Amino acid sequence: MNVDARKYVLISFIVLVGIIYSFRLFYMQVVDESWALRAQQIAEKRREITPPRGVIYDRNGKKIVTNKTYYNLMVVESNMKNFDTVAFAKLIGWTPAQVINRFKEIREGEGIYRNKRTGKTTSNYQKFKPYPFLKELTLEEVMKIAPRLEEFPGFYEDATSMRSYPYANAANIVGYLSEVNQEEIEKDKFYKPGNNIGRAGLERYYENELRGRKGIKYIVTSALNNAIESYAEGKFDTVALQGEALQLGVDIDLQAYGESLLKNKRGCIVAIEPQTGEILALVSSPTYDPNLLIGKRNISKFYNLLVKDESKPLFPRPLAAEYPPGSTFKLINSLIGLQEGVITNNSGFVCDKSVVGCHNHTSAGNLADAIKHSCNPYFYAVTRRIIQQNEKKKLTEDAEIGLNLWAKYMHSFGLGKKLDTDITGIRSGLIPDALYYDKWYGHHNWAFSTIRSISIGQGEVMLTPLQIANIGAIIANKGWYITPHFVKSIGKKGPLERFTKKNYTLVDTKHYDVIREGMRRVVYESGGTGKRALLKDIVICGKTGTVQNPHGDDHSVFLAFAPMDKPKIAIAVFIENAKGGGGLWAAPTASLMIEKYINGKVSETEREETILKANFSY
Amino acid sequence: MRQGQSLLANFDWVLFGIYLIFLCMGLATIYSTAYSEDHPNIYDFSQKYGKQLIWISVSLFLGLMVFLIESDVYRKFCIPIYLFTLILLVIVLFMPAVNGARAWLGIGSMGIQPAEFSKIGAALLLAHFISNVNVKQQTINTVLVANSIILVPMVLILLQPDAGTFVVFTSFLFVMYREGITYDPLVLKLINTIPGVKFKYTWVGSHFIPILFIFVFLSLITLLMSNETITFQFAPNSPVNGIWIIIFSLALFGLLVYFILRFLSAKRDRNRVLIIVLIGFMLTAGWSAVVNYGFKGLAEHQKDRIELFLGLKEDPDGEDYNRNRAMAAVGSGGMLGKGYKNASVSSVESNHVPESETDFIFCPFAEEWGFVGSIVLIALYLLLLIRIIIIAERQRSTFNRVYAYAVAMIFFYHFAINIGMNIGFAPVIGIPLPFFSYGGSSLMSFSIMLFILLKLDSQRRDILQ
Repeated sequence: MNVDARKYVLISFIVLVGIIYSFRLFYMQVVDESWALRAQQIAEKRREITPPRGVIYDRNGKKIVTNKTYYNLMVVESNMKNFDTVAFAKLIGWTPAQVINRFKEIREGEGIYRNKRTGKTTSNYQKFKPYPFLKELTLEEVMKIAPRLEEFPGFYEDATSMRSYPYANAANIVGYLSEVNQEEIEKDKFYKPGNNIGRAGLERYYENELRGRKGIKYIVTSALNNAIESYAEGKFDTVALQGEALQLGVDIDLQAYGESLLKNKRGCIVAIEPQTGEILALVSSPTYDPNLLIGKRNISKFYNLLVKDESKPLFPRPLAAEYPPGSTFKLINSLIGLQEGVITNNSGFVCDKSVVGCHNHTSAGNLADAIKHSCNPYFYAVTRRIIQQNEKKKLTEDAEIGLNLWAKYMHSFGLGKKLDTDITGIRSGLIPDALYYDKWYGHHNWAFSTIRSISIGQGEVMLTPLQIANIGAIIANKGWYITPHFVKSIGKKGPLERFTKKNYTLVDTKHYDVIREGMRRVVYESGGTGKRALLKDIVICGKTGTVQNPHGDDHSVFLAFAPMDKPKIAIAVFIENAKGGGGLWAAPTASLMIEKYINGKVSETEREETILKANFSY
Repeated sequence: MRQGQSLLANFDWVLFGIYLIFLCMGLATIYSTAYSEDHPNIYDFSQKYGKQLIWISVSLFLGLMVFLIESDVYRKFCIPIYLFTLILLVIVLFMPAVNGARAWLGIGSMGIQPAEFSKIGAALLLAHFISNVNVKQQTINTVLVANSIILVPMVLILLQPDAGTFVVFTSFLFVMYREGITYDPLVLKLINTIPGVKFKYTWVGSHFIPILFIFVFLSLITLLMSNETITFQFAPNSPVNGIWIIIFSLALFGLLVYFILRFLSAKRDRNRVLIIVLIGFMLTAGWSAVVNYGFKGLAEHQKDRIELFLGLKEDPDGEDYNRNRAMAAVGSGGMLGKGYKNASVSSVESNHVPESETDFIFCPFAEEWGFVGSIVLIALYLLLLIRIIIIAERQRSTFNRVYAYAVAMIFFYHFAINIGMNIGFAPVIGIPLPFFSYGGSSLMSFSIMLFILLKLDSQRRDILQ
């Protein structure tokens, strides 16, 4: 047989293999997409870069909320080799048992999720994924560990950005962050497990502005899950953008000063710049150091303590505590009386203690003096005239019309409704209207005499300290207010649009002068209830309030603005269960705040010392 | 030898040119995959590309040395050369194991692998032996000696163990087939023991090697395909499973062969061609079915073992890690590839594909250059192989021809298995891609092999047959 022909067998075989391989390659590389997907799965990762949150500045440009870098000590179990438990425990200052425990905790606890269909909670722990072994280490802490980490393959440090509060103040304003929960993750694609979200205060209200824009980086990763380079030279990447900076109207020094004044007392101070509606200070006492609630480690340690604390440091009193306004409320009743024409500047009423109690003073012959003395019978009479205007013959029907009219005026002062301030947790207070009393007493079953407490700010009327301070701003502005707000400017864009609009009250500007004069007399004339607020170089207009409190000592209230001719600050001070009226504690506190704000320093050191020393906390 | 003739007269520049192209492509691919930003210089000898550059220089130098030696020397000294490589194979068994195999001779990274060089010894001795055989008068001894020449080094290599080189040695069987070394005496001896049977010739015996290979190959393909299914557009709910794909392909292939042979053969032979093709189809299809259902009938643990060996287990992150990563790298190349130095799966740095600069060098190449690059590479290898066969066929001496075929088939094996394991067509056994993979021993032995061939070829006219 011809052996030579066998060369064709070999050549055909070789060529055939070449052709089969070519077809196979064509199928794998060009037709079948699954290998490309597999390669992506293996080597490419979509990594999200969470930008640092926006920084928050006070009105003078001082940083009050910033970001600080913390470090997590991460571990990838599949990369661990010859792990020396004892040496590692020594390095991080633990006992070996603690280290073993922590591993167990990670395996069982990390990546835990609830299966929606089965309702079972299972751990999705995966050996080749990184998990934090130690969380939120400071630079100092990590510097002790990092140099020796090479001895422990599988461990590495990972920087994360967290909040930091250079001032230990304004906790109730700025709020705090905590990890997102499953519901939030599902609702908003922005969040991934482990991300933080604003939980309270401005952090919560301005979450969308502060969180910034996430960057997405497609990277090529190695078999050890290390990033090697960006995918396609970063063609598909987006840059992470830091959140907008917020500039607040708050003066952090004034805020800190207010917090120090209210130490050992329960109460609050709200200061507003009348022309702009910017909140200058919002003190809630007792308060807490916002640095206590940074990061998971701290939150789990301190949050429960703060919640359980009887003095409720987490409760934002100026926004959410509803108090009877006491005598400060008389100012509004006077304004409504003037507008309705039921009284004039020179109306006089006898101080008749038979209808309602009063302190000893001469009867007021005009409105300004009545304010000075804070005469209860006077304002009782004024309010009766407002409510009972003889529109109807029947007293109860007449009162219905009168009260609803009164409530309408009240609403125009921002009372009895939620102020649209840029913070959550705000409450509306209570301005009763006819429907309200109908529920209590029955339709047409009540008249002014039933509800007379409203004339002196007691009874059903409830206001928040923020609303009371806003009354000060309205009087300072002679008839309008801008909704009190914290944020003066988002980035460079200015405040939210609604904080540029003036809200006019239903009372004409001309009626405010007499009220202001009365408030001046409160502080500056003999017989005035607020003489302890007197400052030599700044004219303060104020109004005291002593709120009767069935649970204990009276609350001490003072409402003021200053200076009289060009008001720069409107302020409300509320001190709970102070032993003494508004003039005794709240008035001097307010004057200290005013002087501190306007002059930048306090001259009334004796007054300051008295307030600082006072202790009403039990 | 005729005096005064230039050394380079009759030098096969084509083969040498292909060789140089491969060296450049290989070096470029190693540079790309092992590239490190700290060492951008290709002459950086601390890096794999720098070292490969040294190996290339050494190989070219060795090639020159080899080329300067008279071709008669290889004929005369083939037995000492063979024995020398055998001794090296024995010595290496007493060396410390590296990665579980006693394959390295030498110190550290600068060692050599005797198994690579033993191929040269075996090729020369086989050529010498066959050139002295009268093909028409073969005895059992002829078959036994020819097989022993390759079996002795194979056993020593299996002791290392080095499965890849072991398999490569079976390439000599093709050479023996080409030269007409027949297994017929063996087969006849077996068959004629049956009383009443007295054959003088069997078709099976003389074509034993290709038949054996066809059936081994078919078995492998059947096992690899047995779990795959394809769903056609026109029959969306009836997936076609592996065995039927194979039978269908065999039928198509049979038809193709039939028409080609029909076209080539004389009129009176046409019926015979049809019968032969039909019998061939029935036998191969039947064998596939037997393997397929036989495999499915195996016990679970036996099946596991075979699947593991074939890399069939669905365990992309475990047993099947290498193959899966390699195929992902190749498959993600697309039509035009990801671009030079842009291999994201198979670069050494990303380390998803192990040994991506040695055994799996085809991965970064295919990933970077895509289908177009892969086709060019395959075409180049086919060109190399066919060129060597052309050279083989123009030799006057049997020694030269056998040697040339040995070289061709060794290169073919390396090419087919190496690329095959990158595309899921061959089990993962580590053997290098000739002239492409990083590594001194393989490059040097391949180069020496090639330059001996070039030398033999350049002096082919000096021999009077």
